[in-house]
Amino acid sequence: MTDTNDNAGTDRKIVTFSLAQQTFGIDMRALIEIREWDEPTPLPNVPGFIKGVTNLRGNVIPVVGLAERLGWEPSAIHARSCVLVVNIAGKQAGFLVDEVNDIVAIGETEIQPAPEVETIEPSVIAGLVRIATRQKDGTRDEKGTMVLLLDLDALSLTKHLDLAA
Amino acid sequence: MSDELDEIQAIFFEECAEGLVTAEQGLSAMQAGDVSAEVIAGVFRAVHSIKGGAGAFGHADLTAFAHKFENVLDEVRGGKIPPSPGVVKVMLSAFDILTDHVESAKGLAPRPADEAALAALEQVLANKGADDGAPAPAPAPAPVAVEAPAAPAAAEEADEFGFVPMAVSLDDFDAPAEAPAADAAWIVTFKPSRAALANAGEPLLIIRELETLGAEIVAVDTETVPPLRDLDPEDAYFTWTLRVPGEVAEGDINDCFDFVAPDSLVEVRRDEAPAPAAAPVAEAPAADTGADEFGFVPVSAPIEDFAAEMQRVVETIAAASPPIGSVETPSIAPKAGGDAAQQTIRVDLGKLDLLLNLVGELVIRNSILADRLSPADRQRVELPELARLTRQIQDNVMSLRAQPIKQAFSRVPRMLRDLSVETGKTINLETYGETTEVDKGVIEKIGDPLTHMIRNAADHGLESAEERIAAGKDPAGTIKLSAEQRGARIFVRVQDNGRGINRERVKAKAIEKGIISPDAVLSNEEIDQLICAPGFSTAETISNISGRGVGMDVVRSNVEALGGRVEIHSVPGEGTTFTMILPLTLAILDGMIVRLAGQRFVLPLAHVLETVQPEPGQVKRTSPDSEVIDMRGEYVPVKRATEIFGLNDDRAVEDSLVVIVESEAHGKVGLVVDTIDDRREVVIKSLDQNLHPIRGLGGATILGDGSIALILDIEALVASTNRYTPKGMAA
Repeated sequence: MTDTNDNAGTDRKIVTFSLAQQTFGIDMRALIEIREWDEPTPLPNVPGFIKGVTNLRGNVIPVVGLAERLGWEPSAIHARSCVLVVNIAGKQAGFLVDEVNDIVAIGETEIQPAPEVETIEPSVIAGLVRIATRQKDGTRDEKGTMVLLLDLDALSLTKHLDLAA
Repeated sequence: MSDELDEIQAIFFEECAEGLVTAEQGLSAMQAGDVSAEVIAGVFRAVHSIKGGAGAFGHADLTAFAHKFENVLDEVRGGKIPPSPGVVKVMLSAFDILTDHVESAKGLAPRPADEAALAALEQVLANKGADDGAPAPAPAPAPVAVEAPAAPAAAEEADEFGFVPMAVSLDDFDAPAEAPAADAAWIVTFKPSRAALANAGEPLLIIRELETLGAEIVAVDTETVPPLRDLDPEDAYFTWTLRVPGEVAEGDINDCFDFVAPDSLVEVRRDEAPAPAAAPVAEAPAADTGADEFGFVPVSAPIEDFAAEMQRVVETIAAASPPIGSVETPSIAPKAGGDAAQQTIRVDLGKLDLLLNLVGELVIRNSILADRLSPADRQRVELPELARLTRQIQDNVMSLRAQPIKQAFSRVPRMLRDLSVETGKTINLETYGETTEVDKGVIEKIGDPLTHMIRNAADHGLESAEERIAAGKDPAGTIKLSAEQRGARIFVRVQDNGRGINRERVKAKAIEKGIISPDAVLSNEEIDQLICAPGFSTAETISNISGRGVGMDVVRSNVEALGGRVEIHSVPGEGTTFTMILPLTLAILDGMIVRLAGQRFVLPLAHVLETVQPEPGQVKRTSPDSEVIDMRGEYVPVKRATEIFGLNDDRAVEDSLVVIVESEAHGKVGLVVDTIDDRREVVIKSLDQNLHPIRGLGGATILGDGSIALILDIEALVASTNRYTPKGMAA
């Protein structure tokens, strides 16, 4: 566990998904479940990226358009659209993403800090990591893909809404 | 490891809180004149167990104070100190300090200044001593002793002496007229609890211990021994009366009973006829070897009595028709009595909440199931039965969270005692409906509003004694605190018989503070409501009690946050009544399911007065963005929730319904909705649990089909575009 040199590749698991032609990743530990897209109940008086609320086994959870939240064009809803339900500091929220790709293990040491100019809110991107992607035929593309790791705490709705309110 | 200790300590503090409540109730009862042995013993036990726990956790200050307090209580319990009003008053202030000590032990407050209270307790104890000798001179040195520690005490500590001198006033101590001769023998009556043996409270050990002090058994009451067939050899039945030589200190006798089961009867008194003579000799060591194999204590009853008892037992056995062999062995019979008493367990509130959530889910699934079945299947027995059971489970889970409102009221007497000292007013408290049961969440949240209302009543409501006398009133003011349930609402009232609201001054102040415009025309009720506006305070001088102008604003916003409202009723010269109208529960709401621009919303039924289908021309525009509806000649403002929420709605008002709702701050208002779907009870899910509170919404609920409907917050909706909006300023 402590020796990152030997098993640098299995430190942490992330879920990768695509959004606005980019590949993003979030820490597997924060993920509660992945749901199919279901039109949520819209809320009044909230920022546009909050699509509404939905019923997660008796809990009322907000559904966030992650693309808008990150400053991209809103996602178009299609058959593979889905909602990642995550836990951020004890609160649950659903993030609408274009498609869930994979679960991969990465090493802490492989993560590079994000260049600050890349996003509207620099703190939202926790870092960049290159992963080997699985091809349709099952082989691995050794060139790999760059994944933008999201910092969920920075995406906390409570924080953001306090400013909006 | 320290976690475990913390956990145990947390339990100790919980028990402390319970003990304090018990003690306060007992002391209040004593203050009201109920000085029965039971009440006194209750207070004693509460303080005693706080002392015990505090000792175990090393809270030395708390232990020391509780010990002194306990000593006084013990003397009162033993009849050595009469529970006169003065003594009760000393004990009440000692109780307040004890409460502070507990807070201090928790680390929530600094160590309280207890010198004054200790001195007062000491004084009470000392006075008792004087009673034994010459009662008359006793009070003379008293004030000296009380004042002595006052000198070094800080200025604010001196306040506490406001209570103290009364404790030593002469007439408080003239009760035990029959001051017994100094060394009259002690008569000790001891009746162990029935379950004493099961609780390892072997009475024999206590009797032996007493005998080491020179005690002799005078009599044993065997009246309560049942016939043999009903006799449980593991129960204790006897009552002993012992004589202890008069020179033995009472404390030493009481020490023998330190570890008896709590429901044992122990009485220690002086023998009124101080002629012990040779009376007890005959019966003394009669049966020391007696009934040990039964597990109870040797009987040293008068021989004749014992023989008679034997005779009775034999007769009973003879009378019993079944042969002895078939008589059920009583030793296996379950213990009766004490153990059957109310049993309670502590449950984490979070678990109850989870249970409530799950039951809510169950209710919803139940109706989803009903919707999916064919009408014929719906009529089958199983489904209504399932619905009924589900409903019962829901009611029961709700009742688990219900607590008597007493818990919220319990801190009021103390507060009033402090306020009475701070303001110099004499205030009587009357409490009604303490047993009214309310959801735990409501109780937790009405504490602050209640505090503000009481402070407000004591500080602003009640006049000074001089003013009251001038107005021909009783110089002592009265605050009535009451709770009652009406339907699904709880009414909590704080009523004072003070001067009432000075509307002229309130209005002038509101104009001065810019809360209303100088030319505003307001009804009396509207003026009264201004008290609840933020930043409003009429106190000419800002006192540290309630003059910061936040009080009533806090009351109103807290109560509204609970889905309730505050009503103010005031009659000049006669007093003011504040009423908090609260929902019985925070979890369930009686609602009307309405549609706004096609989307379903829940309108709390408690606000709804009536619903109208407007005739053409009944709704008129009074300005480009305001409308009124003609309700039988009364013009009621109309709001479109769809506009407030920014929903697209091009429906003509004639195709809509107007729901007339009653709002706290703005009276009657009409809300335009598309249609009304249904009326039902809904389980409230808060939005801030996973998101953030949203203005205009009181939460959300899950409907029978699993979809979500938002619950409208009438007050916020109605206030959203009004002329003067006290709430808006706070936001």
